[in-house]
Amino acid sequence: MNMIARILRPSRVAFAHCDGPCGVYDPAGARIAAEAVLSMEKKLAALPDDNTLATANTRSRFIQIKEQQAEIVKRELDIIWHDYFKPEHLEKYPNLHDVFWKATKLASKNKTESDPANGEALMTAIEEIHNMYWGSKNRTDVPFYRAG
Amino acid sequence: MRGRGGSSRNLAAPVAFFALLGGAAGALAFTVRRRFMRYEVNGASMVPALDPGDYVIVDRTAYRRRLPRKGHVVLAHDPRDHAREIVKRVDRSDLHGDLWLTGDNAGESTASETFGAVPRGAIVGRVRWRYWPLRALFRVR
Repeated sequence: MNMIARILRPSRVAFAHCDGPCGVYDPAGARIAAEAVLSMEKKLAALPDDNTLATANTRSRFIQIKEQQAEIVKRELDIIWHDYFKPEHLEKYPNLHDVFWKATKLASKNKTESDPANGEALMTAIEEIHNMYWGSKNRTDVPFYRAG
Repeated sequence: MRGRGGSSRNLAAPVAFFALLGGAAGALAFTVRRRFMRYEVNGASMVPALDPGDYVIVDRTAYRRRLPRKGHVVLAHDPRDHAREIVKRVDRSDLHGDLWLTGDNAGESTASETFGAVPRGAIVGRVRWRYWPLRALFRVR
């Protein structure tokens, strides 16, 4: 029987799953990454304005981390935007798409520029998403705080 | 010369016949293979209709002329990861013709409650028959 089953076994797989963390979402992931972006922008602004190898090296490292973390912000927001939020939520938050679009746009702006003001604006946008997310679950016990 | 020409003429008919037969068989096999695809079910979200490890046959032409209907078991591209194919049951279709999919085994299923309605174009086909294990050999309902 086992041999027959092996011969008949299809090569394709149809998934009938609950994937890993069933329905577990949290905008905290985006918040932490955005804090890292803001921190890098502040550190970049504080770097000495010289062309030594040491400064150039540190500057590129800061920029690289800013790039990576801003990309993480976009991904984390996308997951909440199109995996968690459902059409029904638009009734409570008619501006939902606009808020997410602007927040992810801001994440991109944090990549193309290095002004800490962009990082602050991103944090504000994520705070708004935090309030919408927990508001959609009628939770009032989750504060928006900053690790940095 | 005459002999050689004659023998090739004598062979022409059988060669043509078998070539045609082979071609027809090939075309049939090709069509069948394109239409019906075999899948192994992975996961328990369709229990009791489908158990994990069942082998099923998906009809990819099922919805060429018809719309998926409530209750059909379908194979669809996962809206979150297009390369992944998922098996779910059609619960309803919305105003735009997008389909709301659910698992039979609610506690073990990630479906439209999580990923929203699935566009009709993401439906690969209908899960029609289970061919393994033999004790469960049946039409999928």
